[in-house]
Amino acid sequence: MSASSQTFSALLPGDVSDDSSKRALLAEIDASCRVPVLFFVISGLLWLLAGTALALVASIKLHSPGFLASWEFLTFGRVRPAHLNTVIYGFASQTGIGVTLWLMCRLCRVPFVAPGLATVAAIFWNIGLTVGVVGILIGDSTSIEWLELPRYSTPILFFSYVLVAVWAIITFRLRREQHLYVSQWYLLAAILWFPWLYATAQIMLLIEPVRGVVQAAVNWWFAHNVLGLWFTPIGLASIYYFIPKVIGRPIHSYYLSVLGFWSLALFYNWNGLHHLIGGPMPAWMITVSIVASVMMLIPVTTVAINHHMTMWGHFGKLKHSPTLRFVVVGALCYTATSLQGIANSLRSYSEVVHFTHHTIAHAHLGLYGFFAMVMFGSLYYIIPRITQREWPSLGLISLHFWACFLGLALYVVPLSLGGILQGLAMNDASVPFLKVVEGTLPWLKLRTFAGLLLGLGHVAFVGNLVWLLARVFGPYRKPVVAILMGAETAAVVGK
Amino acid sequence: MNVLAILMIGGVLAVPGVALVALRWASHRGELNLPERAALLPFDEEEPVGRATDQILNRQSAES
Amino acid sequence: MKYGPLLFLGILFTLASSWVGLVLAPKQQLGGLVPNVSTNALGAVVLYPQARKGEAQQGEEHYRSLGCVYCHSQQVRPEGFGSDITRGWGKRRTVSRDYLYDKPVMLGTSRTGPDLTNIGERQSDSGWHFAHLYNPQITSKGSVMPPYPFLFQLRKIGPGGASTNALKLSGEFAVAEGWEVVPKDSARQLVEYLRSLKTSVDLPEAPLPKVQEGAAK
Repeated sequence: MSASSQTFSALLPGDVSDDSSKRALLAEIDASCRVPVLFFVISGLLWLLAGTALALVASIKLHSPGFLASWEFLTFGRVRPAHLNTVIYGFASQTGIGVTLWLMCRLCRVPFVAPGLATVAAIFWNIGLTVGVVGILIGDSTSIEWLELPRYSTPILFFSYVLVAVWAIITFRLRREQHLYVSQWYLLAAILWFPWLYATAQIMLLIEPVRGVVQAAVNWWFAHNVLGLWFTPIGLASIYYFIPKVIGRPIHSYYLSVLGFWSLALFYNWNGLHHLIGGPMPAWMITVSIVASVMMLIPVTTVAINHHMTMWGHFGKLKHSPTLRFVVVGALCYTATSLQGIANSLRSYSEVVHFTHHTIAHAHLGLYGFFAMVMFGSLYYIIPRITQREWPSLGLISLHFWACFLGLALYVVPLSLGGILQGLAMNDASVPFLKVVEGTLPWLKLRTFAGLLLGLGHVAFVGNLVWLLARVFGPYRKPVVAILMGAETAAVVGK
Repeated sequence: MNVLAILMIGGVLAVPGVALVALRWASHRGELNLPERAALLPFDEEEPVGRATDQILNRQSAES
Repeated sequence: MKYGPLLFLGILFTLASSWVGLVLAPKQQLGGLVPNVSTNALGAVVLYPQARKGEAQQGEEHYRSLGCVYCHSQQVRPEGFGSDITRGWGKRRTVSRDYLYDKPVMLGTSRTGPDLTNIGERQSDSGWHFAHLYNPQITSKGSVMPPYPFLFQLRKIGPGGASTNALKLSGEFAVAEGWEVVPKDSARQLVEYLRSLKTSVDLPEAPLPKVQEGAAK
């Protein structure tokens, strides 16, 4: 251990003072994150449970339309957007912000600045979202995909977001480590890109709506970029941090990560209008988006090669680290969903799959397989460190992983296939429409089953977290499994 | 429409122009000299390179 | 080496590029679109499209609020691209001008149900729409569309006899003797909106096919 730390000191000369202050700093940073990060994360996970319940209702309705049909507020056209907005703005965004806050503090090497500011932001975020989701259920949905939250709720969310961004910029300015790690580029980019996207969409679609199909252009510029410029950077930042951190090995090539970042920044934001292939738009808009989508091959393969080469020779550690399991599955899903997305953006392929359940499978491979899995992995790492408590049950961690892994596979693979079959049948005008509908039923039922598995995983995760939090208020116990120490130390303790 | 065309062409020329100037400036300041050691930023003396963390599942087999 | 300013500029420049290209440019190109002016057989000036009024306009609000867009698209892809036209979902592809007055534009991304761009032409009978909304199984056995019973009122038949607008329900869908199902305002408005959905108008940028045009006359 001492040998490797000497190597490290030699590599970063004069970077820090003495050994003891450094140790104190890491623990101090983690402890300072406790309240705001936990607030964002716990609210995020509660929204995840709500979102899962809404998803199950929506999924069952798609093959059994009579299910809960007499209540207007639970009709499919309201439950579906309520599901989307709870998981996007409730779960994914809040958990993502929680992880972002922690990563920023760790990488900037500063204890949490103004935790009150961030906590207030979290409170407003949840108020805004609750108002918005109730609004959707009572019929105020805007019916603009990814922006269904009614006009009266979104300013609250935006205000909350501004507080988060201000916090991030302050932390960035106060950083003690002048060098920026690749994760910080992604986080900073996400924090600056999101308000621009959200403000543009809100102004041009809800506050002062533009006329006609310009709405569709703005809608898909926004909706696709929320994935690519908000969730993707946060997910990739986490992967770039946690894979090296868990296996104890720096990223394979720092140069490749630079190429990956800038090519994503250049190309991704032009992708959105491939959602309108065949639609009533001038051809150039769609073509330019298809070209940019194909260019995504550069960042995607760059990132995939870089992560794979970093993991090379360390796959054995997947057996022992929950963080690594979730994060590596997430990284694989990122590659898979990106390649699938590039295929979807081609005119010939889109002609078949555009209006089918294939798209839904693709969206879940991206947001769930990639983003949610990476967030789960990150939380397994972060929460014990900020609470100074071990995960109470390793069994529940395994249950969470396998339920989500299987659920994800059963969701994405069959539904992608079913979507292609649905598209082929739909493009054959001799097949009556109701026959096409009938053909989708087995896939939709399988999807409900997969959703139940995902739900089981979420309950296991939240149960474990509640158990851990119960211990936060109890007396501090010496770690048994010693997550909080490195593997070597733990082995020594074991003897 | 002509104004728009002028703006577009102007933009097409100006944006890469500004980008080139910015890159030149950055390169002169050494902003582009990326040290591979930036890759070591997640590590520190407490958790140095070479030490795996978070190895909590299946401990028995890990120690054997 | 701090990399900060360059990073900051790069982040802003990259997004600015597509903001100009995919937000401002479409607004420039399509934001000034005006209705098409033509003259009909009687020599009167006809504007297309026209803003919806009255019940159809209120119905658009229900269409939005109930989230119909999540299963029904409102766009006809060009001839030879998918089977939209052969399935009879439209006589011609839809173009930007068709959507001038839609609030919001609900192109849709899913065809769990059929496209509705021209549902007003395919199915102009309000009675069919009421039965279909009350319970899709009545008109389309095997459909996965949810029933919308809350758009209807189940009430006792008054002394004056059954209402003229009561749904004709028989077999498994029949209600108890002495009761009737009548559409609420919301159902009536929604159906008016659906009946207003039609795009078979000749446009310079999207002419109707010659043969069908002749057949229509």
